[in-house]
Amino acid sequence: MRSVTLVRALGVATLALFFVGGFTPLPTRLYERLMVPPRIGPADAIVVMAAGGPSLDGRLPDDSRRRAAYGIDLYRDGLAPLLVLSGAGGRRSESAARAALAGQCGVPEAAILAVAAGYTTHQEITSLAPQLRARGVRRVLLVTDASHIRRAMRLLEHERFDVLPAPVRAMDAPTKPGERVRLLHETLRESLALVYYAVAGYR
Amino acid sequence: MTPYVTIALTSLVAYLFAVKRLGVRPTELPRALGRLADVVGTGAIFALVNLAAAAGFVLGVRALTGHFLSLYTLDDAVWLTVSMLQGWLWRLWRDSPRSS
Repeated sequence: MRSVTLVRALGVATLALFFVGGFTPLPTRLYERLMVPPRIGPADAIVVMAAGGPSLDGRLPDDSRRRAAYGIDLYRDGLAPLLVLSGAGGRRSESAARAALAGQCGVPEAAILAVAAGYTTHQEITSLAPQLRARGVRRVLLVTDASHIRRAMRLLEHERFDVLPAPVRAMDAPTKPGERVRLLHETLRESLALVYYAVAGYR
Repeated sequence: MTPYVTIALTSLVAYLFAVKRLGVRPTELPRALGRLADVVGTGAIFALVNLAAAAGFVLGVRALTGHFLSLYTLDDAVWLTVSMLQGWLWRLWRDSPRSS
C-alpha cells in the first residue's frame, strides 16, 4: 500500500513538474541560476568548446556553428590574438571544420589553433590545458553554451587559468510551453552532468 | 494559447459526452486522476531505471573497453517516451483483472 502511495506521489510530482515547467517562468529562472554571467574582456586566447562533432556529411551542426561564430566575432573584436577551436570527430573533425569556417571569415591561419581534443568536456580541457600553457596563455575567454559554461569553467580554473566566461545562449526567453519544457530539460541534464563531474572528482 | 483553449473545449465536450451519453458518474473523475498519477509515476520509475541502467552501461563500456560511448546518446525524447510507455503498459497490465 505504501509503495502504491509513493508511485502516485511520483506521478503527481512528474505531472506537476511538466505543467510548472511548461506554463511558468521556472525553467528560465533555473537556467539563469545555472549559467554564469558574461565577463567579456581582453585575454590571451579565445577557447571555443566542442559541440558534439560534425554531422556525417562534415557540416557543422547549429550549436557548434553558433559557438564558433561567437568565438570568431570575439576574435574580430580584437579580444585575443589566438582563437582555439576545439572538437573531436571522425574523418573530418569538428575542429577542422570550424577552422575552415574561421578562415572563410578572415581569421588568419596563424591565429587559429584547431585541436581535436577528446570526446568529453573533461577530456577536452585535460588535452587543451598543456597546449595553452605551452603558448603562454594565462587568461582565457571561454565560449560555450550558457548551460555548459559553469562545468567547463570549473575545469579550466582547476587547471589554473584565469577564465572570462563568454556564454552563448541557445534560447532567449522562451515564450511557448514547448520551449520552456526544452529549457527545463537542458537545465536538468546539465545539472546532472555537474553532479556526475563532482562525484567523478573532475571538479 | 489557442491550442490550449482547444484542449479545454474538447475536455468539456468529452466530459459532457461521458456523463450524458455514456452514463459515467462525475464522482469517478478524481479516482481516474489518481489512476493517471499511478500510471505516470510507474512510467517515471521505468524512465529513471532505464536512465540509470543505460548510463551504467555507457560508463561500463568506457571503463572496460576504452571505447568511447557518449552519455548524450541518452538525451533523446523518443527514448524517454518509450521508457514512459513501457511503464504505463506494465502498470495497466498489473492493474488488469486477474483470472483465477
